Amino acid sequence: MRAPTRWTLLFLTPPMVLFVAIVVIPTAMALRLSLTDANLLSDTKDWVGLENFTEAFTDEHVRKSIRITLIWTVFGAFAPLALGLGMATLLQSNRRIATMMKSALFVPIAISLVVVGQVWVWIYQPGDGLLNRVLDIVGLDSLQDAWLANRRTALYAVFIAWAWQQTVLAMILYLAGLTSVPGELVEAAQVDGASRFQIFRRVIVPLLRPITTVVLSLIAINSLRNFDLVFAMTQGGPVRETETMPMLVYRILFRQQDQGMASAVSLILFVMTLVVIGGLTWWGRRRSHVA
Amino acid sequence: MSLDMPTQAAQQPNEAPPPPSPRPLRSDSRVRSITATTAMLLFVLVYSIPVIGVLLTSLKTNAEIAERGIWSLTGNLTFDNYADVWQTANTLRYLINSFHVAIPAVAVSIAGGTMIGYALAKFRPRGSILIQLVIVSGLFVPPQVLLVPLFTIFSDYGLLNTLWPMILVHSAVGFSITTLVMRNFFDQLPDSLRYAALIDGATEGQVFLKVMLPLARPALAALATLQFTFIWNDFLYPLVFTSGKDDVATIMLGLLNVKGQFTVAYGNQAALAVIASIPTVLVFFVFQKHFVRGLLSGAIKE
Repeated sequence: MRAPTRWTLLFLTPPMVLFVAIVVIPTAMALRLSLTDANLLSDTKDWVGLENFTEAFTDEHVRKSIRITLIWTVFGAFAPLALGLGMATLLQSNRRIATMMKSALFVPIAISLVVVGQVWVWIYQPGDGLLNRVLDIVGLDSLQDAWLANRRTALYAVFIAWAWQQTVLAMILYLAGLTSVPGELVEAAQVDGASRFQIFRRVIVPLLRPITTVVLSLIAINSLRNFDLVFAMTQGGPVRETETMPMLVYRILFRQQDQGMASAVSLILFVMTLVVIGGLTWWGRRRSHVA
Repeated sequence: MSLDMPTQAAQQPNEAPPPPSPRPLRSDSRVRSITATTAMLLFVLVYSIPVIGVLLTSLKTNAEIAERGIWSLTGNLTFDNYADVWQTANTLRYLINSFHVAIPAVAVSIAGGTMIGYALAKFRPRGSILIQLVIVSGLFVPPQVLLVPLFTIFSDYGLLNTLWPMILVHSAVGFSITTLVMRNFFDQLPDSLRYAALIDGATEGQVFLKVMLPLARPALAALATLQFTFIWNDFLYPLVFTSGKDDVATIMLGLLNVKGQFTVAYGNQAALAVIASIPTVLVFFVFQKHFVRGLLSGAIKE
């Protein structure tokens, strides 16, 4: 029974109009802007073809930013993934602690990245920040540093704060996934004499694969959109060492007022997102056929 | 697949003793349980210390922090910082602004996504695949792509430094996830529900409002939790669209403004950070089950 057209239109039109106005048209405008030399300060804009893109790919700051974002997304995801799975497994086998801790463990993803960033700035503070204090207590005070101001450590410092939060996201999703692992399968493997590690590796991890795909996709999208945390902690500094692509777009738009270039870089980020998510989806499908 | 958070103890691989050769395993399992406990303890420390640190800092006087640092353990605790940020900063205004953005945006994003999702699942209009594709690909559009043109558009309409940009953008951008979740949800409901009500003389509108929506309550709660957290915590859009005027700042932008206002007053910053976090933390304590389900139901069909 197909609904009369007027009902279909009534349900679809209002939200679609808003979506087209706020998402579809601006995306198309961004495409067009990226081919011009539009600037926030001038009213005229000229067609420049692909110049913004060729300039972007040769600019050392843009290249560095692409590199930071890609490495962060592709390799960085595994830290929260592994830690999250490990903690979920531990909590799963210790129900009492799990129930006690669960509400408290939600706090890192309930609070905003701005607040997370602020706390971690205090942890990394030169002088009497928490990290330096701990190093002092364990007698490693020679390692003390101004973690966010040092060009060599700043990126890792921001990454750790980010992983701190994303680990909880992974853990919570895995915790939900682990309860759906059928107990009979685990028992059957035990009866067959499988070791705990074998059970984990051969039974539980394959069963969790759909969750792993979700966790990886969420973490990947979060890292490709990593703006709030970087802004709160370093604003891209020191000397642009922590400039992720969202941060770079913001800088190009509001410090250089260059709309054309900002659009071009944001579209490169869009394509990167599509490639990463496409790859993950392909990986998820392929593996679930095997399993 | 059941996606509820663990309620009753499911089968626990780690506790059932494996039958063959118990003796070597027993000492082995003691080592393992010590390792596990240590790991867990470390984990708890790593997650509780930053949180406790902010809470403590918010209760210490700025003079005390200046003298002994943020992470000192001693000191007299006081609520002065809270009173201070409440009186000298625009705190109440920030909170009102945040609710003023979050409530309509959560409502509109869920209402719109429910309508689209329902129409796609049950009316199956021509071109529904295309509509779904367009809406869902919104999930992958980085906010920065929209930001550049939207900044000019909102500026042309005189909407910069008002709350409208955030309400509009969060509503529309939210359709991507809400449509996905609701479409999956309505797909699982049998069509016969709709047919039966239609035969009894109900209109399509009545079927939707009186039959389908009550059934959708768990999915709607999941989305409300997800969307509220996301919108409340957003920092980018307020920064870009309203940074010119403190009176329209949401609480997250307010945090930044206050940081400039009291440069080294860590106590005040911490107090405002705690205030800013209370709504989402509360929502989480109450609805954590829904949050997980919301995240998973977008991607995994049950």
